[in-house]
Amino acid sequence: MSSHQVLLKTEGISRRYGGLMAVSELDMEIRSGEILGLIGPNGAGKSTTFNLISGFVKPTAGKLFIDGKDVTGSNPTQISKLGLVRTFQHGSLMKTLTVHDNILIGAIGAIPPAHSRQREDRVHEAAEMLGLTPFMNEVSGNLPHGVQRLISIAIAYATHPRILCLDEPLTGLNQTEAVNTLNIFRQIRDQLKCSILLVEHNMKAVMQVCERIVVLHHGQLLATGTPTEIRSNQDVVNAYLGAKHAH
Amino acid sequence: MDKREQQSLAKGTIAVLVVAALSLVIKDGYTSNLIIWMAIAALIASSLRFVLLIGELNFATAAFVGLGAYGAGVVLTILEWPFVIALVFSGIVAALIGFLFGYVTLKVKGPFFLLIGFAFTEVVRLIYTKIDIIGSNSGMVGIFPPDLLAPYYPTFAILVVGIMLLMLYKIENSHLGKTFKGIRDNDQVVLAVGINVHMIKVLCLTISAFASGIAGGLMAFVNNVISPGDFSFLLSTFALAYLKVGGEDKPIGPILGAILLVALSTVALSFGGGDHIFFGIAIVLTVLLMPKGIVGLYDKWRQHRKGERAA
Amino acid sequence: METFIQLVFTGLQIGAVYVLFSLGLTLIFGVMKVVNFAHGQFFTMTALLIAVILPFFTAAGLSVLPAYILAVLIGIGASLVFGLILYQGGLRFFQRDLEGSFILTVGVVMLMEGIFLHYFGGVVRAVPPFIEGSVNFLGVNITMQRILLIIVSMVFTIILYRVLGSTKIGKAMRAVSIDHEAAMLQGVQYKKIAFAGFMIATFLGALAGAIMAPLAMISPTVGSDYLVKGFIAVIIGGLGSVPGAIVGSLFIGMIESFGGFFYDPSIANIAMFALVMITLLVRPKGLLGNG
Repeated sequence: MSSHQVLLKTEGISRRYGGLMAVSELDMEIRSGEILGLIGPNGAGKSTTFNLISGFVKPTAGKLFIDGKDVTGSNPTQISKLGLVRTFQHGSLMKTLTVHDNILIGAIGAIPPAHSRQREDRVHEAAEMLGLTPFMNEVSGNLPHGVQRLISIAIAYATHPRILCLDEPLTGLNQTEAVNTLNIFRQIRDQLKCSILLVEHNMKAVMQVCERIVVLHHGQLLATGTPTEIRSNQDVVNAYLGAKHAH
Repeated sequence: MDKREQQSLAKGTIAVLVVAALSLVIKDGYTSNLIIWMAIAALIASSLRFVLLIGELNFATAAFVGLGAYGAGVVLTILEWPFVIALVFSGIVAALIGFLFGYVTLKVKGPFFLLIGFAFTEVVRLIYTKIDIIGSNSGMVGIFPPDLLAPYYPTFAILVVGIMLLMLYKIENSHLGKTFKGIRDNDQVVLAVGINVHMIKVLCLTISAFASGIAGGLMAFVNNVISPGDFSFLLSTFALAYLKVGGEDKPIGPILGAILLVALSTVALSFGGGDHIFFGIAIVLTVLLMPKGIVGLYDKWRQHRKGERAA
Repeated sequence: METFIQLVFTGLQIGAVYVLFSLGLTLIFGVMKVVNFAHGQFFTMTALLIAVILPFFTAAGLSVLPAYILAVLIGIGASLVFGLILYQGGLRFFQRDLEGSFILTVGVVMLMEGIFLHYFGGVVRAVPPFIEGSVNFLGVNITMQRILLIIVSMVFTIILYRVLGSTKIGKAMRAVSIDHEAAMLQGVQYKKIAFAGFMIATFLGALAGAIMAPLAMISPTVGSDYLVKGFIAVIIGGLGSVPGAIVGSLFIGMIESFGGFFYDPSIANIAMFALVMITLLVRPKGLLGNG
């Protein structure tokens, strides 16, 4: 299966907002070639963790390591160059641009200017992988929600990331679309030999596609393990039930 | 996509050459000047539109035009270097200051960037009035193209503007141009794929400033006299009028807007306070009634025709 | 020492005019989230009309005070009508659209200045003061007209404060400026509030024009010049904040007064614009703003 080489590691990473600890003393790692799920009830700190590891938010304490190198406090461009590319839950698209040009931006990010042929090839490769080839010249803002989700993944794919971070990619997708997308995740991982970090609310999907799961609660690490382990973890069950019955 | 771009470039080049040839034939001084005015206006409006590609309304455009004009004036009348150097310098000095300006100010967006551009234009204008060596309030005089070129100046100006416009068009359609638009639509995503968004925005502004500077240099040589009052935020407002009336969605918009408004304003000038009223109405009506400008109306008409044909 | 007091007083007086302006701008920005670049035109219109109508009335035999009152009423009234047209005809479609409203109102400014230029000419006019005489304060001579200006400015600022703080409509305005969607959910009638806010602001601008008419050189572009300073005051003091508008205006007034005396007006202006740029870069919300 996946080797245990650690690509990304957080050590005691924390983010405080005024009086609130959105994320507190979090130790987690992303291993080479794995599909990792990041879950937790609402307000658990998933978005903040996502922003912390992608450089969009600076930690107020703790450290971030990529490939063993301390990259704490780096900005998104720097972290991107190290191979971590993320999508956004809301609006991960450049709406007035065509599908082709959207994906092209990803290729531009990863391939230097003199190689426009290479960029074109990369765009087509990404479109193929995500099943977007029939839509290439459509204006992305006019396309259905499900297709837009795929485009945002394609943009990230086009950078050939080593760690692909997907922020709630299944939101708004119907059952068929969701299953299809999960398959694409596996294909991407196999094709690029990359790791995938998945933040998702869709429990069924997470249990199906993730090999390992990290559970957050109130900004802290609650549990890690395989889907089977997590499903039977009493603390996790309580956290979700507690959240459900919260007033 | 490539084919359409090639076709447009070809059409554009032909248009420039045709207009240039026409200008050779026209001997009437007034009409020649009018054509130069339209060309310069088109270039200024296009450079304003260029920054719109990253989603910012650059009210400092007038400042860069002025820097170009004064740059050319200084090189020619103070340093007494040749015309060609003066003209090239007009673009370079504007670009340099544009780079610095953009580096500092593009950290903010939208209305804040707009107001900064406005303030910057006024600061630069006021600074001109304090510097005696460039004539402070009275400005600079004696900025003439060389004798050999003078009779052909209109043609020269058109060719220079034409080259600049084609260059802007090419950049807009290149990968760099698409990156600009990507930043306009969603700068977070562009950031997330590893592109240095800030520096790309600065690059866009620098290119626009260069174009504005060249326009300023051309302006200095056609007016022969420049003063601080020529480069107030009013100039940016005129450029905005050309852009809005022509339509900001396509590169041809500002060109159409400039030609139309400059042509019509010659009529309005005879009416006291005329061109103010005229440009004011142009902006107000366009913003209220046809926000996409002439280009927008044309697109709607084409959609309508397509609909008719389909039915 | 006398110079210092004189300068402080001049600064206060200049600041007092800017206060009336910037209160209007802040109100419009706070409630409608709109930039009204044409705000200065209310000032110009009122001042110009007074400058033209007053001699007409006095020539017709009316004594000074009634002539003034009539001229002021007509001047302010005309501006209110203009404001009404501007709001109904265009500005209300651009609420919360800062760039769109800016562009529209820039066009309006050009249009109005052109009209003023055409009908009133570029000639600078003077209006005789409402109140003659001067007062000696701490060894400095201050004209009554200037004192009147400061008093009127203070009075209306206080009135506005009370309105915003205590009346139903004032509280509604504050609610809208903080969170207009929440305010609407609470039943605040947004359209009415926006309109009321705009008309109050228009009135303040026109009032500034009325009081300044005897003190300033009235030309078609006079409103714009004051407007730009009003904007600077509002940006530095804080967009959307009434105390900010006041603080910013007095600050600008002092810079103009002292800067103009020790250096010259252009240097003072450069300093102000540079300050604006720095504020927008470092603290866009301004000193006291809540954006």
